[in-house]
Amino acid sequence: MRLDRAEIMDRLGVGVIVALAIFALALLLLPAVIVVVMSFDTRGYISFPPAGFTLDWYRKVFEQPVLTTAMWTSIKVGLYVTAICILLGVPTALACVRGDFRGATALSVFVLVPHMVPGIVLGVAVLFSGALLGIGPSIWLQSIALSCYVMAVMVRTVMARLQKLDPLLEQASANLGASRWQTFRTITFPLLLPAIMAGAVFTFIEGFDNLSVTIFTHGYRDRPLPIELLAIVQNTNSPLVAAVSSVQILLAMLALAAISLTIGLDRVNE
Amino acid sequence: MNSKPLHIRLFDEVFSGTGIWPAVPAIIVLTVVAVIPFGVLLSLGFSDIVVSRGVIVSQELSLRHLATALADPLYHTTFQRSITLALTTTFFCTLLGFPVAYLFLIGGPWVRRIILVLTIAPILTSGIVRTYAWIVILGGRGVVNGVLMDLGLISAPLRIINTPWAVVIGMVQIHLPIMILPLIAVMSRHDRRLDEASANLGASRLGTLRHVILPLSVPGLGTGASLVFTLSYTTFVVPQLLGGGNYLNAATMIYEQVVYSLEWSKGAVTAMILMATCLIVLALFAWMTHLATGWTRVAQR
Repeated sequence: MRLDRAEIMDRLGVGVIVALAIFALALLLLPAVIVVVMSFDTRGYISFPPAGFTLDWYRKVFEQPVLTTAMWTSIKVGLYVTAICILLGVPTALACVRGDFRGATALSVFVLVPHMVPGIVLGVAVLFSGALLGIGPSIWLQSIALSCYVMAVMVRTVMARLQKLDPLLEQASANLGASRWQTFRTITFPLLLPAIMAGAVFTFIEGFDNLSVTIFTHGYRDRPLPIELLAIVQNTNSPLVAAVSSVQILLAMLALAAISLTIGLDRVNE
Repeated sequence: MNSKPLHIRLFDEVFSGTGIWPAVPAIIVLTVVAVIPFGVLLSLGFSDIVVSRGVIVSQELSLRHLATALADPLYHTTFQRSITLALTTTFFCTLLGFPVAYLFLIGGPWVRRIILVLTIAPILTSGIVRTYAWIVILGGRGVVNGVLMDLGLISAPLRIINTPWAVVIGMVQIHLPIMILPLIAVMSRHDRRLDEASANLGASRLGTLRHVILPLSVPGLGTGASLVFTLSYTTFVVPQLLGGGNYLNAATMIYEQVVYSLEWSKGAVTAMILMATCLIVLALFAWMTHLATGWTRVAQR
Protein backbone atom coordinates (compact mmCIF):
# COMPACT_ATOMS: atom_id res chain seq x y z
CA MET A 1 0.00 0.00 0.00
CA ARG A 2 1.36 3.37 -0.94
CA LEU A 3 1.23 6.07 1.67
CA ASP A 4 0.50 9.57 0.57
CA ARG A 5 2.04 12.60 2.19
CA ALA A 6 -0.93 13.36 4.43
CA GLU A 7 -0.97 9.82 5.78
CA ILE A 8 2.76 9.98 6.58
CA MET A 9 2.31 13.29 8.40
CA ASP A 10 -0.59 11.84 10.35
CA ARG A 11 1.39 8.80 11.48
CA LEU A 12 4.36 11.00 12.32
CA GLY A 13 2.17 13.31 14.42
CA VAL A 14 0.59 10.48 16.37
CA GLY A 15 4.04 8.93 16.76
CA VAL A 16 5.39 12.13 18.29
CA ILE A 17 2.48 12.31 20.74
CA VAL A 18 2.88 8.67 21.77
CA ALA A 19 6.64 9.21 22.17
CA LEU A 20 5.97 12.21 24.44
CA ALA A 21 3.57 10.06 26.46
CA ILE A 22 6.14 7.30 26.87
CA PHE A 23 8.75 9.88 27.87
CA ALA A 24 6.33 11.27 30.50
CA LEU A 25 5.61 7.79 31.88
CA ALA A 26 9.33 6.99 32.07
CA LEU A 27 9.82 10.29 33.88
CA LEU A 28 7.26 9.18 36.46
CA LEU A 29 8.84 5.77 36.99
CA LEU A 30 12.63 6.20 36.72
CA PRO A 31 13.34 8.46 39.74
CA ALA A 32 11.80 5.91 42.11
CA VAL A 33 13.75 3.06 40.51
CA ILE A 34 17.01 5.02 40.78
CA VAL A 35 16.42 5.76 44.49
CA VAL A 36 15.83 2.07 45.20
CA VAL A 37 18.96 1.11 43.24
CA MET A 38 21.12 3.67 45.10
CA SER A 39 19.87 2.45 48.48
CA PHE A 40 21.88 -0.78 47.99
CA ASP A 41 25.20 1.01 47.30
CA THR A 42 28.16 0.07 49.50
CA ARG A 43 29.76 3.54 49.48
CA GLY A 44 28.97 6.11 52.13
CA TYR A 45 27.92 8.79 49.68
CA ILE A 46 25.59 8.97 46.71
CA SER A 47 27.49 8.42 43.46
CA PHE A 48 26.27 6.90 40.25
CA PRO A 49 26.69 4.12 39.19
CA PRO A 50 26.57 2.14 42.47
CA ALA A 51 29.76 0.26 43.39
CA GLY A 52 28.32 -2.79 45.13
CA PHE A 53 25.37 -4.37 46.88
CA THR A 54 24.54 -4.23 50.59
CA LEU A 55 21.48 -4.17 52.82
CA ASP A 56 23.40 -2.33 55.56
CA TRP A 57 21.60 0.98 55.02
CA TYR A 58 18.25 -0.65 55.75
CA ARG A 59 19.62 -2.08 58.99
CA LYS A 60 20.89 1.38 59.89
CA VAL A 61 17.49 2.97 59.23
CA PHE A 62 15.90 0.78 61.85
CA GLU A 63 18.83 1.23 64.26
CA GLN A 64 18.47 5.02 64.37
CA PRO A 65 16.14 5.94 67.23
CA VAL A 66 15.49 9.35 65.64
CA LEU A 67 14.06 7.71 62.55
CA THR A 68 12.14 4.90 64.24
CA THR A 69 10.57 7.34 66.72
CA ALA A 70 9.62 9.66 63.87
CA MET A 71 8.12 6.76 61.91
CA TRP A 72 6.10 5.70 64.93
CA THR A 73 4.87 9.28 65.44
CA SER A 74 3.81 9.47 61.80
CA ILE A 75 2.03 6.12 62.00
CA LYS A 76 0.11 7.44 65.03
CA VAL A 77 -0.82 10.65 63.20
CA GLY A 78 -1.93 8.61 60.18
CA LEU A 79 -4.16 6.44 62.39
CA TYR A 80 -5.64 9.42 64.27
CA VAL A 81 -6.38 11.24 61.01
CA THR A 82 -7.99 8.13 59.53
CA ALA A 83 -10.12 7.52 62.63
CA ILE A 84 -11.34 11.13 62.72
CA CYS A 85 -12.07 11.12 58.98
CA ILE A 86 -14.09 7.89 59.22
CA LEU A 87 -16.05 9.02 62.29
CA LEU A 88 -16.88 12.45 60.88
CA GLY A 89 -16.67 11.85 57.14
CA VAL A 90 -18.85 8.77 56.63
CA PRO A 91 -21.95 10.27 58.36
CA THR A 92 -21.35 13.49 56.41
CA ALA A 93 -21.33 11.57 53.13
CA LEU A 94 -24.64 9.95 54.17
CA ALA A 95 -26.16 13.35 54.89
CA CYS A 96 -24.86 14.79 51.60
CA VAL A 97 -26.32 11.99 49.46
CA ARG A 98 -29.46 11.01 51.38
CA GLY A 99 -30.30 14.36 52.90
CA ASP A 100 -33.37 16.14 51.59
CA PHE A 101 -32.84 19.27 53.67
CA ARG A 102 -32.18 22.64 52.09
CA GLY A 103 -28.46 23.20 51.55
CA ALA A 104 -27.47 19.54 51.05
CA THR A 105 -25.51 20.59 47.96
CA ALA A 106 -23.97 23.52 49.81
CA LEU A 107 -22.88 21.07 52.51
CA SER A 108 -21.05 18.83 50.04
CA VAL A 109 -19.22 21.89 48.69
CA PHE A 110 -18.43 23.17 52.21
CA VAL A 111 -16.72 19.88 53.11
CA LEU A 112 -14.47 20.16 50.05
CA VAL A 113 -13.27 23.71 50.78
CA PRO A 114 -10.47 22.94 53.28
CA HIS A 115 -8.93 20.55 50.73
CA MET A 116 -8.95 23.26 48.02
CA VAL A 117 -7.04 25.69 50.19
CA PRO A 118 -3.26 25.35 49.96
CA GLY A 119 -1.97 23.20 52.83
CA ILE A 120 0.59 25.84 53.80
CA VAL A 121 -2.18 28.44 54.31
CA LEU A 122 -4.26 26.02 56.39
CA GLY A 123 -1.19 25.12 58.45
CA VAL A 124 -0.33 28.75 59.19
CA ALA A 125 -3.98 29.59 59.94
CA VAL A 126 -4.30 26.72 62.44
CA LEU A 127 -0.97 27.57 64.09
CA PHE A 128 -1.94 31.25 64.54
CA SER A 129 -5.44 30.47 65.79
CA GLY A 130 -4.00 28.03 68.29
CA ALA A 131 -1.53 30.68 69.43
CA LEU A 132 -4.40 33.12 69.95
CA LEU A 133 -6.06 30.64 72.31
CA GLY A 134 -2.80 29.52 73.92
CA ILE A 135 -2.87 26.10 72.23
CA GLY A 136 0.62 25.21 71.05
CA PRO A 137 1.57 22.85 68.24
CA SER A 138 1.28 19.18 69.20
CA ILE A 139 0.55 15.81 67.69
CA TRP A 140 -3.15 16.52 68.43
CA LEU A 141 -3.21 19.88 66.71
CA GLN A 142 -1.41 18.30 63.75
CA SER A 143 -3.87 15.39 63.58
CA ILE A 144 -7.01 17.50 63.77
CA ALA A 145 -5.69 20.02 61.21
CA LEU A 146 -4.74 17.22 58.81
CA SER A 147 -8.13 15.57 59.34
CA CYS A 148 -9.90 18.74 58.23
CA TYR A 149 -7.49 18.99 55.29
CA VAL A 150 -8.21 15.47 53.94
CA MET A 151 -11.77 14.87 55.16
CA ALA A 152 -12.94 15.77 51.64
CA VAL A 153 -11.22 12.68 50.20
CA MET A 154 -13.10 10.34 52.54
CA VAL A 155 -16.43 12.14 52.01
CA ARG A 156 -16.08 12.10 48.23
CA THR A 157 -15.01 8.43 48.00
CA VAL A 158 -17.93 7.31 50.19
CA MET A 159 -20.35 9.63 48.37
CA ALA A 160 -19.38 8.16 44.98
CA ARG A 161 -20.15 4.68 46.31
CA LEU A 162 -23.40 5.76 48.01
CA GLN A 163 -24.72 7.32 44.82
CA LYS A 164 -24.34 3.96 43.06
CA LEU A 165 -26.06 1.92 45.80
CA ASP A 166 -29.48 0.58 44.98
CA PRO A 167 -31.93 2.20 47.43
CA LEU A 168 -34.20 -0.83 46.98
CA LEU A 169 -31.80 -2.88 49.12
CA GLU A 170 -32.39 -0.61 52.09
CA GLN A 171 -36.12 -0.44 51.44
CA ALA A 172 -36.28 -4.23 51.30
CA SER A 173 -34.50 -4.40 54.64
CA ALA A 174 -36.96 -1.91 56.14
CA ASN A 175 -39.92 -3.82 54.71
CA LEU A 176 -38.65 -6.99 56.34
CA GLY A 177 -38.90 -5.23 59.67
CA ALA A 178 -35.34 -4.11 60.30
CA SER A 179 -34.84 -0.94 62.27
CA ARG A 180 -32.87 1.86 60.67
CA TRP A 181 -29.84 1.09 62.77
CA GLN A 182 -30.04 -2.60 61.81
CA THR A 183 -30.35 -1.67 58.15
CA PHE A 184 -27.32 0.59 58.40
CA ARG A 185 -25.29 -2.02 60.24
CA THR A 186 -26.14 -5.04 58.08
CA ILE A 187 -26.84 -3.54 54.64
CA THR A 188 -25.50 -0.03 54.07
CA PHE A 189 -22.26 -0.21 56.04
CA PRO A 190 -20.96 -3.49 54.49
CA LEU A 191 -21.73 -2.13 51.03
CA LEU A 192 -19.82 1.07 51.82
CA LEU A 193 -16.85 -0.74 53.35
CA PRO A 194 -14.67 -0.88 50.20
CA ALA A 195 -15.05 2.88 49.73
CA ILE A 196 -14.29 3.53 53.41
CA MET A 197 -11.17 1.34 53.17
CA ALA A 198 -9.97 3.17 50.06
CA GLY A 199 -10.64 6.52 51.72
CA ALA A 200 -8.76 5.28 54.80
CA VAL A 201 -5.71 4.46 52.67
CA PHE A 202 -5.63 8.03 51.34
CA THR A 203 -6.18 9.66 54.72
CA PHE A 204 -3.55 7.47 56.36
CA ILE A 205 -0.98 8.31 53.67
CA GLU A 206 -1.76 12.02 54.03
CA GLY A 207 -1.40 11.83 57.81
CA PHE A 208 1.85 9.92 57.43
CA ASP A 209 3.44 11.96 54.63
CA ASN A 210 1.98 15.46 54.70
CA LEU A 211 4.51 18.25 55.09
CA SER A 212 2.69 21.49 54.24
CA VAL A 213 0.24 21.40 57.16
CA THR A 214 2.50 19.32 59.41
CA ILE A 215 5.46 21.68 59.39
CA PHE A 216 3.46 24.39 61.19
CA THR A 217 1.39 22.23 63.53
CA HIS A 218 3.56 19.29 64.65
CA GLY A 219 4.68 19.00 68.26
CA TYR A 220 8.31 19.87 69.03
CA ARG A 221 8.74 16.64 70.99
CA ASP A 222 6.76 14.47 68.56
CA ARG A 223 8.68 15.15 65.38
CA PRO A 224 7.01 13.19 62.57
CA LEU A 225 8.88 11.47 59.73
CA PRO A 226 8.46 14.16 57.01
CA ILE A 227 10.06 16.75 59.32
CA GLU A 228 13.01 14.49 60.18
CA LEU A 229 13.34 13.46 56.55
CA LEU A 230 13.45 17.07 55.36
CA ALA A 231 16.25 17.79 57.84
CA ILE A 232 18.20 14.65 56.85
CA VAL A 233 17.84 15.27 53.10
CA GLN A 234 19.17 18.81 53.56
CA ASN A 235 22.15 17.77 55.65
CA THR A 236 23.38 14.34 54.54
CA ASN A 237 24.36 12.70 51.31
CA SER A 238 24.46 9.03 52.31
CA PRO A 239 22.46 6.12 50.88
CA LEU A 240 20.73 6.06 54.28
CA VAL A 241 18.26 8.61 52.91
CA ALA A 242 17.76 6.44 49.83
CA ALA A 243 16.98 3.51 52.13
CA VAL A 244 14.39 5.52 54.10
CA SER A 245 12.93 6.66 50.78
CA SER A 246 12.76 3.09 49.51
CA VAL A 247 10.85 2.08 52.63
CA GLN A 248 8.40 4.92 51.87
CA ILE A 249 8.12 3.81 48.24
CA LEU A 250 7.30 0.29 49.46
CA LEU A 251 4.57 1.79 51.66
CA ALA A 252 3.13 3.60 48.62
CA MET A 253 3.11 0.32 46.68
CA LEU A 254 1.18 -1.37 49.49
CA ALA A 255 -1.30 1.53 49.50
CA LEU A 256 -1.67 1.22 45.74
CA ALA A 257 -2.39 -2.51 46.04
CA ALA A 258 -4.95 -1.81 48.79
CA ILE A 259 -6.76 0.74 46.63
CA SER A 260 -6.85 -1.49 43.58
CA LEU A 261 -8.27 -4.31 45.74
CA THR A 262 -10.98 -2.13 47.33
CA ILE A 263 -12.39 0.28 44.77
CA GLY A 264 -10.14 -0.28 41.76
CA LEU A 265 -7.60 2.17 40.40
CA ASP A 266 -9.94 3.49 37.72
CA ARG A 267 -12.27 4.78 40.42
CA VAL A 268 -9.65 7.00 42.08
CA ASN A 269 -10.81 10.00 40.09
CA GLU A 270 -14.30 9.97 41.48
CA MET B 1 -47.84 9.50 66.09
CA ASN B 2 -46.23 10.63 69.29
CA SER B 3 -46.57 7.26 70.95
CA LYS B 4 -42.85 6.51 70.52
CA PRO B 5 -40.61 7.77 73.32
CA LEU B 6 -38.58 10.84 72.50
CA HIS B 7 -35.16 9.16 72.45
CA ILE B 8 -36.33 6.53 69.93
CA ARG B 9 -37.65 9.24 67.64
CA LEU B 10 -34.41 11.16 68.00
CA PHE B 11 -32.45 8.00 67.17
CA ASP B 12 -34.56 7.34 64.08
CA GLU B 13 -34.21 10.94 63.01
CA VAL B 14 -30.42 10.69 63.20
CA PHE B 15 -30.29 7.38 61.32
CA SER B 16 -33.00 8.15 58.80
CA GLY B 17 -30.26 9.80 56.79
CA THR B 18 -32.56 12.44 55.38
CA GLY B 19 -31.69 15.07 57.97
CA ILE B 20 -28.57 17.15 58.43
CA TRP B 21 -27.80 15.52 61.81
CA PRO B 22 -25.12 13.03 60.74
CA ALA B 23 -23.08 15.88 59.29
CA VAL B 24 -23.28 18.15 62.32
CA PRO B 25 -20.09 16.93 64.08
CA ALA B 26 -18.07 17.37 60.87
CA ILE B 27 -19.54 20.83 60.28
CA ILE B 28 -18.58 21.91 63.80
CA VAL B 29 -15.03 20.54 63.54
CA LEU B 30 -14.44 22.00 60.07
CA THR B 31 -15.77 25.37 61.22
CA VAL B 32 -13.60 25.47 64.32
CA VAL B 33 -10.41 24.08 62.75
CA ALA B 34 -10.61 25.48 59.20
CA VAL B 35 -13.16 28.28 58.70
CA ILE B 36 -12.51 30.29 61.85
CA PRO B 37 -8.70 29.98 61.48
CA PHE B 38 -8.98 31.48 57.97
CA GLY B 39 -10.85 34.39 59.48
CA VAL B 40 -8.16 34.68 62.15
CA LEU B 41 -5.40 34.61 59.52
CA LEU B 42 -7.20 37.34 57.59
CA SER B 43 -7.55 39.48 60.70
CA LEU B 44 -3.88 38.96 61.62
CA GLY B 45 -2.89 40.14 58.17
CA PHE B 46 -4.42 43.51 59.05
CA SER B 47 -2.95 43.64 62.54
CA ASP B 48 0.08 44.41 64.62
CA ILE B 49 0.66 41.43 66.90
CA VAL B 50 2.90 40.67 69.83
CA VAL B 51 3.94 37.05 70.25
CA SER B 52 5.42 35.75 73.44
CA ARG B 53 6.47 32.10 73.79
CA GLY B 54 4.28 30.96 70.95
CA VAL B 55 1.19 32.74 72.26
CA ILE B 56 -0.30 35.84 70.66
CA VAL B 57 -0.62 38.23 73.61
CA SER B 58 -1.88 41.34 71.86
CA GLN B 59 -3.42 42.23 68.55
CA GLU B 60 -4.07 45.74 67.25
CA LEU B 61 -5.61 46.80 63.97
CA SER B 62 -2.88 48.11 61.68
CA LEU B 63 -2.15 48.19 57.98
CA ARG B 64 1.56 48.63 58.60
CA HIS B 65 2.70 45.13 57.69
CA LEU B 66 0.47 44.86 54.65
CA ALA B 67 1.64 48.25 53.34
CA THR B 68 5.32 47.38 53.97
CA ALA B 69 4.94 44.07 52.16
CA LEU B 70 3.17 45.59 49.16
CA ALA B 71 5.94 48.20 48.79
CA ASP B 72 8.81 45.75 49.37
CA PRO B 73 10.77 44.90 46.19
CA LEU B 74 11.69 41.52 47.72
CA TYR B 75 7.99 40.64 47.76
CA HIS B 76 7.59 41.76 44.15
CA THR B 77 10.45 39.60 42.86
CA THR B 78 9.47 36.65 45.05
CA PHE B 79 5.84 36.59 43.97
CA GLN B 80 6.80 37.22 40.35
CA ARG B 81 9.21 34.29 40.50
CA SER B 82 6.62 32.03 42.20
CA ILE B 83 3.91 32.79 39.66
CA THR B 84 6.31 32.33 36.72
CA LEU B 85 7.53 29.05 38.19
CA ALA B 86 3.99 27.77 38.78
CA LEU B 87 2.82 28.80 35.30
CA THR B 88 5.89 27.19 33.68
CA THR B 89 5.19 24.02 35.67
CA THR B 90 1.54 24.06 34.59
CA PHE B 91 2.56 24.54 30.95
CA PHE B 92 5.01 21.63 30.89
CA CYS B 93 2.64 19.39 32.84
CA THR B 94 -0.04 20.05 30.21
CA LEU B 95 2.45 19.40 27.42
CA LEU B 96 3.44 16.03 28.89
CA GLY B 97 0.13 15.14 30.52
CA PHE B 98 -2.11 15.42 27.48
CA PRO B 99 -0.14 12.88 25.40
CA VAL B 100 -0.39 10.41 28.30
CA ALA B 101 -4.15 10.92 28.37
CA TYR B 102 -4.25 10.38 24.58
CA LEU B 103 -2.26 7.15 24.95
CA PHE B 104 -4.75 6.14 27.69
CA LEU B 105 -7.59 6.75 25.24
CA ILE B 106 -6.16 4.78 22.31
CA GLY B 107 -4.42 2.10 24.41
CA GLY B 108 -5.70 -1.34 25.36
CA PRO B 109 -6.54 -2.49 28.90
CA TRP B 110 -2.89 -3.21 29.76
CA VAL B 111 -1.68 0.19 28.61
CA ARG B 112 -4.47 1.75 30.66
CA ARG B 113 -3.52 -0.25 33.74
CA ILE B 114 0.15 0.71 33.43
CA ILE B 115 -0.76 4.39 33.07
CA LEU B 116 -3.03 4.23 36.14
CA VAL B 117 -0.33 2.57 38.26
CA LEU B 118 2.39 4.99 37.16
CA THR B 119 0.11 7.96 37.82
CA ILE B 120 -1.38 6.98 41.17
CA ALA B 121 1.78 5.48 42.75
CA PRO B 122 3.63 8.84 42.82
CA ILE B 123 0.61 10.54 44.40
CA LEU B 124 0.84 8.05 47.26
CA THR B 125 4.59 8.63 47.67
CA SER B 126 5.97 11.33 49.94
CA GLY B 127 6.88 14.58 48.17
CA ILE B 128 10.20 14.72 50.01
CA VAL B 129 11.13 11.25 48.74
CA ARG B 130 10.26 12.22 45.18
CA THR B 131 12.24 15.43 45.45
CA TYR B 132 15.16 13.56 46.97
CA ALA B 133 15.18 11.34 43.88
CA TRP B 134 16.05 14.43 41.85
CA ILE B 135 18.96 15.23 44.15
CA VAL B 136 20.26 11.74 43.35
CA ILE B 137 19.71 12.24 39.63
CA LEU B 138 20.90 15.83 39.17
CA GLY B 139 23.53 16.03 41.92
CA GLY B 140 27.27 16.58 41.38
CA ARG B 141 27.91 12.82 41.35
CA GLY B 142 24.37 12.04 40.29
CA VAL B 143 23.00 9.92 37.49
CA VAL B 144 23.07 12.60 34.79
CA ASN B 145 26.65 13.66 35.51
CA GLY B 146 27.77 10.04 35.96
CA VAL B 147 26.39 8.98 32.59
CA LEU B 148 27.67 12.06 30.75
CA MET B 149 31.17 11.63 32.20
CA ASP B 150 31.24 7.91 31.38
CA LEU B 151 30.32 8.74 27.82
CA GLY B 152 33.17 11.24 27.77
CA LEU B 153 30.87 14.09 26.82
CA ILE B 154 31.99 16.22 29.77
CA SER B 155 35.13 16.12 31.87
CA ALA B 156 33.87 17.86 35.00
CA PRO B 157 30.40 17.50 36.57
CA LEU B 158 27.82 20.02 35.40
CA ARG B 159 26.22 22.17 38.02
CA ILE B 160 22.53 21.33 37.61
CA ILE B 161 21.28 21.06 41.15
CA ASN B 162 20.74 24.31 43.05
CA THR B 163 19.82 26.10 39.84
CA PRO B 164 16.37 27.31 38.74
CA TRP B 165 16.39 24.56 36.08
CA ALA B 166 16.57 21.86 38.72
CA VAL B 167 13.57 23.44 40.45
CA VAL B 168 11.55 23.47 37.21
CA ILE B 169 12.44 19.84 36.36
CA GLY B 170 11.50 18.66 39.85
CA MET B 171 8.29 20.71 39.89
CA VAL B 172 7.10 19.31 36.55
CA GLN B 173 7.81 15.69 37.44
CA ILE B 174 6.20 15.97 40.86
CA HIS B 175 3.00 17.63 39.67
CA LEU B 176 2.58 15.67 36.44
CA PRO B 177 0.27 12.98 37.96
CA ILE B 178 -2.06 15.71 39.25
CA MET B 179 -2.48 16.86 35.63
CA ILE B 180 -2.91 13.36 34.21
CA LEU B 181 -5.63 12.16 36.63
CA PRO B 182 -8.40 14.62 35.66
CA LEU B 183 -7.51 14.15 31.99
CA ILE B 184 -7.84 10.37 32.09
CA ALA B 185 -11.12 10.83 33.97
CA VAL B 186 -12.37 12.70 30.91
CA MET B 187 -10.85 10.13 28.56
CA SER B 188 -12.48 7.17 30.31
CA ARG B 189 -15.88 8.79 29.76
CA HIS B 190 -14.99 9.64 26.15
CA ASP B 191 -17.27 8.01 23.57
CA ARG B 192 -15.02 6.29 21.01
CA ARG B 193 -17.88 6.29 18.48
CA LEU B 194 -17.28 10.02 18.06
CA ASP B 195 -13.73 9.26 16.87
CA GLU B 196 -15.04 6.59 14.49
CA ALA B 197 -17.61 9.01 13.13
CA SER B 198 -14.88 11.60 12.66
CA ALA B 199 -12.69 9.03 10.85
CA ASN B 200 -15.58 7.93 8.67
CA LEU B 201 -16.12 11.54 7.69
CA GLY B 202 -12.56 11.55 6.40
CA ALA B 203 -10.67 13.13 9.28
CA SER B 204 -7.11 12.00 9.90
CA ARG B 205 -6.16 10.83 13.40
CA LEU B 206 -4.56 14.19 14.10
CA GLY B 207 -7.68 15.89 12.77
CA THR B 208 -9.86 13.85 15.13
CA LEU B 209 -7.50 14.69 17.99
CA ARG B 210 -7.61 18.38 17.17
CA HIS B 211 -11.34 18.72 16.43
CA VAL B 212 -12.99 16.05 18.59
CA ILE B 213 -10.79 14.85 21.46
CA LEU B 214 -9.07 18.11 22.39
CA PRO B 215 -12.27 20.21 22.62
CA LEU B 216 -13.94 17.52 24.73
CA SER B 217 -10.95 17.44 27.13
CA VAL B 218 -11.18 21.15 27.95
CA PRO B 219 -12.87 20.59 31.35
CA GLY B 220 -10.18 18.06 32.31
CA LEU B 221 -7.44 20.44 31.21
CA GLY B 222 -9.04 23.22 33.27
CA THR B 223 -9.26 21.08 36.41
CA GLY B 224 -5.74 19.72 35.95
CA ALA B 225 -4.22 23.15 35.32
CA SER B 226 -5.95 24.64 38.38
CA LEU B 227 -4.74 21.82 40.63
CA VAL B 228 -1.18 21.90 39.28
CA PHE B 229 -1.01 25.67 39.59
CA THR B 230 -2.31 25.72 43.17
CA LEU B 231 0.04 22.97 44.31
CA SER B 232 3.15 24.18 42.51
CA TYR B 233 2.50 27.78 43.56
CA THR B 234 2.29 26.85 47.24
CA THR B 235 4.88 24.10 47.64
CA PHE B 236 8.15 24.69 49.41
CA VAL B 237 9.70 21.22 49.32
CA VAL B 238 11.01 21.41 45.76
CA PRO B 239 12.40 24.98 45.88
CA GLN B 240 13.85 24.31 49.33
CA LEU B 241 15.64 21.09 48.36
CA LEU B 242 16.52 21.62 44.69
CA GLY B 243 17.01 25.38 44.75
CA GLY B 244 19.87 25.17 47.21
CA GLY B 245 18.24 27.07 50.05
CA ASN B 246 18.56 30.44 48.33
CA TYR B 247 15.80 29.98 45.80
CA LEU B 248 13.05 31.93 47.49
CA ASN B 249 9.47 31.42 46.38
CA ALA B 250 6.38 32.60 48.24
CA ALA B 251 5.97 29.34 50.13
CA THR B 252 9.60 29.13 51.31
CA MET B 253 9.25 32.78 52.34
CA ILE B 254 6.26 31.97 54.58
CA TYR B 255 8.11 28.98 55.99
CA GLU B 256 11.12 31.11 56.89
CA GLN B 257 9.05 33.94 58.36
CA VAL B 258 6.89 31.68 60.51
CA VAL B 259 9.26 28.88 61.52
CA TYR B 260 12.72 30.50 61.52
CA SER B 261 12.60 34.25 62.02
CA LEU B 262 9.28 34.13 63.94
CA GLU B 263 7.95 37.25 62.20
CA TRP B 264 4.35 36.14 62.42
CA SER B 265 2.79 39.41 61.28
CA LYS B 266 4.85 39.20 58.09
CA GLY B 267 3.99 35.53 57.73
CA ALA B 268 0.25 36.25 57.99
CA VAL B 269 0.53 38.98 55.35
CA THR B 270 2.53 36.74 53.00
CA ALA B 271 0.05 33.86 53.42
CA MET B 272 -2.79 36.29 52.70
CA ILE B 273 -1.16 37.62 49.53
CA LEU B 274 -0.38 34.03 48.46
CA MET B 275 -4.01 33.03 48.89
CA ALA B 276 -5.34 36.14 47.12
CA THR B 277 -2.99 35.86 44.12
CA CYS B 278 -3.73 32.14 43.87
CA LEU B 279 -7.48 32.84 43.74
CA ILE B 280 -6.97 35.50 41.04
CA VAL B 281 -5.03 33.09 38.82
CA LEU B 282 -7.60 30.32 39.44
CA ALA B 283 -10.39 32.71 38.46
CA LEU B 284 -8.46 33.48 35.25
CA PHE B 285 -8.11 29.75 34.56
CA ALA B 286 -11.84 29.23 35.16
CA TRP B 287 -12.61 32.09 32.79
CA MET B 288 -10.31 30.63 30.10
CA THR B 289 -11.87 27.17 30.53
CA HIS B 290 -15.27 28.79 30.15
CA LEU B 291 -14.20 30.58 26.95
CA ALA B 292 -12.68 27.37 25.59
CA THR B 293 -15.86 25.42 26.36
CA GLY B 294 -17.79 28.06 24.45
CA TRP B 295 -15.40 27.57 21.54
CA THR B 296 -16.04 23.83 21.83
CA ARG B 297 -19.77 24.35 21.44
CA VAL B 298 -19.14 26.38 18.32
CA ALA B 299 -16.91 23.61 17.03
CA GLN B 300 -19.56 21.01 17.77
CA ARG B 301 -22.16 22.77 15.70
